[in-house]
Amino acid sequence: MPQHLSATLVTGVLALTLTACGTVGSSSGGGDPAGAEGSSGEYVNVVKLTGIAWFDRMETGVDAFTEQTGLAASQTGPATADTELQVGVIQGLIAQRPEALGVVPLDPGAVENVIQQAKDAGIVVVTHEAPTIQNADADIEAFDNADYGTKIMAGLAECMGGEGEYVQFVGSLTSETHMAWAEAGLAAQQAEHPGMTRVSDPVESDDNADTAYEKTKQLLQANPALRGFFGDSSQDVPGIGRAIAEAGLQDDTCVYGTGVPSETRELVADGSVDGIYLWDPALAGQAVLSAAQIIAEGGELSTGTDLGVEGYGSLVQSPDNPKTFLGDAALALTAETIDDYDF
Amino acid sequence: MKAAGASRWRRVAGDQELLLLVLLGLLLVAVAARAPEVLTVDTLFNVARESMVTLVFAVAVLIVIISGGIDVSFLAVGIFAAYSAVSLVPQEGPAATAWLPFAVAVAIGVALGLVNAAVVLGAGVSTLIATLATSAVFLGVLFAFVGGTVVNSIPEPLRVLGSTSLLELPAAGRGTTRLSVLVLPVLVVCAATAAFLRWTVAGRSIFAMGGDREAARRAGVAIGPTVVLVFALSGALAGLAGMTHVALSGRADPTTFFGGELNVLAAVVLGGALISGGRGSVRGTVLGVLLITCIRSSLIPLGIPPVWQEAVIGSLLILGVVLQALASRVKPVRAILDPADPVLAPAPLRRDVVEAGDAR
Repeated sequence: MPQHLSATLVTGVLALTLTACGTVGSSSGGGDPAGAEGSSGEYVNVVKLTGIAWFDRMETGVDAFTEQTGLAASQTGPATADTELQVGVIQGLIAQRPEALGVVPLDPGAVENVIQQAKDAGIVVVTHEAPTIQNADADIEAFDNADYGTKIMAGLAECMGGEGEYVQFVGSLTSETHMAWAEAGLAAQQAEHPGMTRVSDPVESDDNADTAYEKTKQLLQANPALRGFFGDSSQDVPGIGRAIAEAGLQDDTCVYGTGVPSETRELVADGSVDGIYLWDPALAGQAVLSAAQIIAEGGELSTGTDLGVEGYGSLVQSPDNPKTFLGDAALALTAETIDDYDF
Repeated sequence: MKAAGASRWRRVAGDQELLLLVLLGLLLVAVAARAPEVLTVDTLFNVARESMVTLVFAVAVLIVIISGGIDVSFLAVGIFAAYSAVSLVPQEGPAATAWLPFAVAVAIGVALGLVNAAVVLGAGVSTLIATLATSAVFLGVLFAFVGGTVVNSIPEPLRVLGSTSLLELPAAGRGTTRLSVLVLPVLVVCAATAAFLRWTVAGRSIFAMGGDREAARRAGVAIGPTVVLVFALSGALAGLAGMTHVALSGRADPTTFFGGELNVLAAVVLGGALISGGRGSVRGTVLGVLLITCIRSSLIPLGIPPVWQEAVIGSLLILGVVLQALASRVKPVRAILDPADPVLAPAPLRRDVVEAGDAR
């Protein structure tokens, strides 16, 4: 028994030594004192939920970061879109002392506390899709949210000829980015297309295509004149499009919103969905980790910072929140261009 | 005379199927008053479409509840079976081979049901705890070994089946509305389960076991094999439900059912199944599922914010349980252990029964 114990101790000490070596190696560029002690040196990206195409694509950006920098990086997240589960994942990671965390929060307000805990533990935290975040070191957005919402509305309004009823879907009413796009879209419509009317407050899809599908059918029934759909969650457009396809209303409706090419390709091809908007989650994931690396190595983000990632070559500091930095990485895809993207 | 009147009133209040019909009627009246344009064949088809998968899951749960347990693993079993089957069967093939993924899903469902039965019998824990544990294991295995990403292109035969309509009519507003051909297997399964529970010895054994396990054992019901049968059947139905969902939605998303247990359990309990076992019917379950689906699809036409949905369904669950309490004052469920008959219910036996009840 004592032999066994000493073996365990030796293994433990060895492991600690190795961890320490790893840390020295990874933070050699910056000499950041906070991150050095007991840090595993790893960069971890925490997403809203695992298993959907959007965040699978983001993971390839995390891998690209590793390839580019040689730093260990990985991605994790809750299996369902549940705020409490996501907080639990982050708390679990704090104990492992990574060098930095990228966080794509489900509800930015709900992760402020746990982000503060991570920072207190010497971990750099950079968020994404959380433009009002206060406790993180920085927040990286692919684009200005108002611009993005306006862009979706421009597509929808053109398709509808500036007239008729439309509805907006959001993943949840607490999702800040979804609400920001919806509100910017509404504002643009009211300013430029007075002939259009939004039929209700934004409808929640729970980030679930089946919910979006069912609600689309109900909305079509309750509002016989409904012609436009504005989807914010990447799961909205696949559900809306399926309902449109089943009802044979491809030529009678306009469906625009956030979407992933692999999940919407067939619907875009047959006209059930008319246009999808997105930013490449791979580039966003890579940009978040690059920003985290700059901060971990003692640098600072400012207007004009180049993260070395396409679309994030010249960041702009948000006028609303000094911690938020905007890229210029929005994509708009239609039936002609969707096949250029294989995710 | 007065007492008889009160008892009759209680009997009416205790008849849950009647009450469900009344509630459905009230809902229809409310919708008709508020949004009459919604009362069309479209709504009928939509409600049928949304009820189909829930209904098969509900029947799976019903069997376990009648046997005296509460199963919470059915959604995990369903998506595990369907997702694995989609990955296993060939992508191409004539539409006639669409039975293959269904057969594979049902077989996987049975296998997972047998795991549930093994845990329940082997560990001797309550069904609720056992299935809570196994559902976490099933989902973990699914994500770790089978896959966790959404499958966007399901096998061709399934896709064709899922988009085949039994009826296709012009919608009241614009476009067309359709009733999927998959409604047929769902109806057949409901009828077959009802017949099985009502007219076979094995079916009656499940009721007997749920009503009182010890009494059933003494009456000659083989408890072990009956538990295995219950979970194998329930697993098969869950596999069928999962595959029906995949065929209908045209994609296999491993997270799609997460958090949907409440809807299904609420429907079964509302439908008159006694949560402690021994009572329940497929007919009541069908009504329970229809009521919950109608409520879900009426919220938008009625102008009720969708955020209230969960609260409404939770309230209905409470209503269902209260009604059961009322009904049980009318009909003694465990007549065989009526305390009025001291010979059949000696004190030590009754303590056993109480313990068995706790374990459930």
